[in-house]
Amino acid sequence: MNSTLPSGPAVRIEGLDKYYGSFHALRTINLSVERGERIVICGPSGSGKSTLIRCVNRLEQHDGGRITVLGTELNDDVGNIDGIRREVGMVFQHFNLFPHMTVLENCMIAPMIVRKRPRAEAETTARRFLEKVRIPEQAMKFPGQLSGGQQQRVAIARALCMQPQIMLFDEPTSALDPEMIAEVLDVMVTLASEGMTMICVTHEMGFARRVADRVIFMDGGEIVEEAPPEAFFTSSRNERTRQFLSQVLGH
Amino acid sequence: MEMVVVAPPAPGRLEDLKRRFFATPLQALLSLISLAIMAFIVWKLLNWAVFSAVFTVSGGPEACQAAAGACWSVIAARWRIILFGLYPFEEQWRSALACVAVVVMTVLSCMPAFWTGRRIALVWGTGTGLYYVLMKGGVLGLPYVGEEAWGGLALTLFIFVTTCLIGFPLAICLALLRRSDLPWISRTTGLIIDGVRSLPLISILFTFAVVLPFALPQWLQGDKLYRVILGSALFFSAYQAEIVRGGMQGVPAGQEEAAMALGMSYWQRIGRIVLPQAMRNALPATINQFVISFKETSLVVIVGFFEILASGNAAYGTGEWRFAYVEVYAFIAFIYFVFVFSLSRYGAYLERRMAVGER
Repeated sequence: MNSTLPSGPAVRIEGLDKYYGSFHALRTINLSVERGERIVICGPSGSGKSTLIRCVNRLEQHDGGRITVLGTELNDDVGNIDGIRREVGMVFQHFNLFPHMTVLENCMIAPMIVRKRPRAEAETTARRFLEKVRIPEQAMKFPGQLSGGQQQRVAIARALCMQPQIMLFDEPTSALDPEMIAEVLDVMVTLASEGMTMICVTHEMGFARRVADRVIFMDGGEIVEEAPPEAFFTSSRNERTRQFLSQVLGH
Repeated sequence: MEMVVVAPPAPGRLEDLKRRFFATPLQALLSLISLAIMAFIVWKLLNWAVFSAVFTVSGGPEACQAAAGACWSVIAARWRIILFGLYPFEEQWRSALACVAVVVMTVLSCMPAFWTGRRIALVWGTGTGLYYVLMKGGVLGLPYVGEEAWGGLALTLFIFVTTCLIGFPLAICLALLRRSDLPWISRTTGLIIDGVRSLPLISILFTFAVVLPFALPQWLQGDKLYRVILGSALFFSAYQAEIVRGGMQGVPAGQEEAAMALGMSYWQRIGRIVLPQAMRNALPATINQFVISFKETSLVVIVGFFEILASGNAAYGTGEWRFAYVEVYAFIAFIYFVFVFSLSRYGAYLERRMAVGER
């Protein structure tokens, strides 16, 4: 399958600008993510990290610069946008599972109506990924009956059922109770070890250290620093990075 | 020595009554007085409605008027006018069958098993088609009966059902348009909705029935009945659109984002994710709107249609049964009650059913 893909990076962002009214949310961002690469983006709240990854699947519209995802440029062409969204899975801070469907239906609906897969095939795929996130026994329950950690794992399975080439994680553990963070991170680590291209906005520095190929630190809508995790955590010379790290790791 | 521990007996129903209503002498007195008043009213009512009432037509209106209780003979004598209006006497079985067709159609479309596009279209197509052919005739050897002769319960049900069938999809369209990102679309829709809502239903019915024919070419006019139904559907949709929009506002933005992120198109997001949740939020208000619309069908009398209430007026208004209007209205009230109460219970059932997914 990989041989049919266009070559080049999974995501290429060039000179990206984004405004909310007069607020300059993203300032000339340049970032390239290779296939199979794992990126962790961190930074203080309001630094633009969520906005950045939401631009990658066009949940936010950018105002300047170019974003190319899997060789297709994101523009106003709805066909392009839907095509890219099929290949880019996303996991949200607040899970956003569909409460009126069972766990299984949550995982089956997009493959069935977006990828036009037959029901039986969609169900097989859904059960396989529910197995993978270790909650096959919850398939017939509704999201409201699950714990936060279980819901987030279902959300990961739901995204994986579309068999995307890139996964975006937008603070996937920030809304979870501490004892449930590990079960979600475990699933993400497994995913990373299987070679998935991942862009994760997270404050889980242990995860970053263990899994990331590159850690990106953002502040004030800019990429302040980007480095492999070892260098990032031990020998950063940037004042803002060091201050942030001392706040996140300091206790 | 042996200790026997006995749990205090669970308060029986009698104990409970005693505690609630007869705890003190004053309370007991008040309870007894209320009980006596209630018993008096119930007895009076029963006496009027059953024990002293006349049920047969044989004695004629005079004997009936002389009786102390209710004169149900008027219903026995005139039920056909109430249910079928001015519909030709020998053909009234068609009107009855048409009522059955509409009721069956409504019941079927209330059942979750029929909630797929094809099935619901089949049910509605067959139901309204059957009604139309049965009522209008002119085919299959059925004599022709024009819309101006339709009436009674058959007309009330038809107007209500078609108002909802046209008005509900229209309401969803209006709600979606009002939510549009393009300001000129959302503002125009808002203006239309607010405009229609600020007019009385009677003036809309009157406009569609009487004024519209002057503005439209002959071939576009259709029968007055269908223009009135369109007017009533427009009115229904203006209110229902706001109910649907309110329901949509209750669906978190993250739901649509998640659907977008999975690559769903606009219509897939609306149809599969947003509307099902919005309708759940909007269900109580929606049932309310249905109930109001059912009762508002009685307003079509001002443009000359004899729906059930107007037919009732006609049933006692012709001379010999003039005294028996209370009985006629009681009968019509009972029919309204059956339909509206079923609707409310159905709403309650839906709420329970939809609550399954929530904790």
